Amino acid sequence: MSSIKVWDLPTRFFHWLLVLSFAGAFLTAESERNRDLHVLLGYTVLGLIVFRLLWGLIGSRYARFYSFVCSPKVVVLYLCQLIQKQAQHPVGHNPAGAVVIVLLLLLGLGSGLSGWAVYEDIGADWLTEWHELISNAMLVVVCIHITGVVVSSYLQGENLIAAMVTGKKLGHVNQAIASNVASLAWLLLAVVIGLWIWAWPASKDLNWLLHTFSWW
Amino acid sequence: MKPFTIGFLILIAIAQPLRAEQPQDIILSHTLQAKQDNAAFLGFDAIRGEQFFKSQHNGGDWSCASCHTDNPAAAGLHTVTKKEIEPMAPSVNPARFTNTSKVEKWFKRNCKDVLNRECTAQEKGDVITYLMSLNR
Repeated sequence: MSSIKVWDLPTRFFHWLLVLSFAGAFLTAESERNRDLHVLLGYTVLGLIVFRLLWGLIGSRYARFYSFVCSPKVVVLYLCQLIQKQAQHPVGHNPAGAVVIVLLLLLGLGSGLSGWAVYEDIGADWLTEWHELISNAMLVVVCIHITGVVVSSYLQGENLIAAMVTGKKLGHVNQAIASNVASLAWLLLAVVIGLWIWAWPASKDLNWLLHTFSWW
Repeated sequence: MKPFTIGFLILIAIAQPLRAEQPQDIILSHTLQAKQDNAAFLGFDAIRGEQFFKSQHNGGDWSCASCHTDNPAAAGLHTVTKKEIEPMAPSVNPARFTNTSKVEKWFKRNCKDVLNRECTAQEKGDVITYLMSLNR
């Protein structure tokens, strides 16, 4: 066993950008003062998930849905083995984690689409209720995800949070992914940051910055 | 009972939840709450509601009129997103104040933005009375 590359860079950038966007969208949900920021972050969530769905089809080995999405039977079996401390820890996502990931992608998609419909005044009042319900459900699943990661880290003696930062986990050399696909990851980051700068509400009030520069 | 009577009762039962609430119903529920809050409650007042609607509170920089404008019988403009807001006056927009949970949800959300606290039943009743007094 050695430290091998498992999560490619686009998958990691997606993960942490989704964390930022969803947390930001949640924190800006309560006030009309932050409405445009909330909408911008919500659309970012939506765009990120569309990217992840594509990456789940054409991405590197452990990022593909094919490599981790499994039947409920496999999930139950895995959980039983986990309780009996007999579970095999896969190099990629484990079956319980896979369920949570699928749920997060679906809820994120639902939250983003319903939010868009609310903002564009498409449909009736119940859409607002659904937007809140789906988003709260997503927060609950996020908490389950974090708990699961902490528990799994403890059970298998491996820091899984660090793995989502470095991309490295314990495994055999022949299990490593061939490429980090770094160029696509930087492109993703550039697109997201570009969108934020272009549409960031505060950028409207950045004239003082221009004035400061012209003064220099 | 005759089949006709039964059918009629079933129709009424189905139609009951579909009956939209009226602004008067919402005024009434706020009246009951205001009486509970304050034994000396004297009723709602359109002029007080208008003043409340058009002024800033607790040192805040927004009033209701910041988005709904000084003429709530016309369309408003969200001061942050610049999106149009449908008129608030029921005379122009009959859909207003026909759904208690929607009314309460928006009062709660917007009062926090304008007053930094929730509105009292007195304040809400005054504002609804003001909006109901507006003609097209």
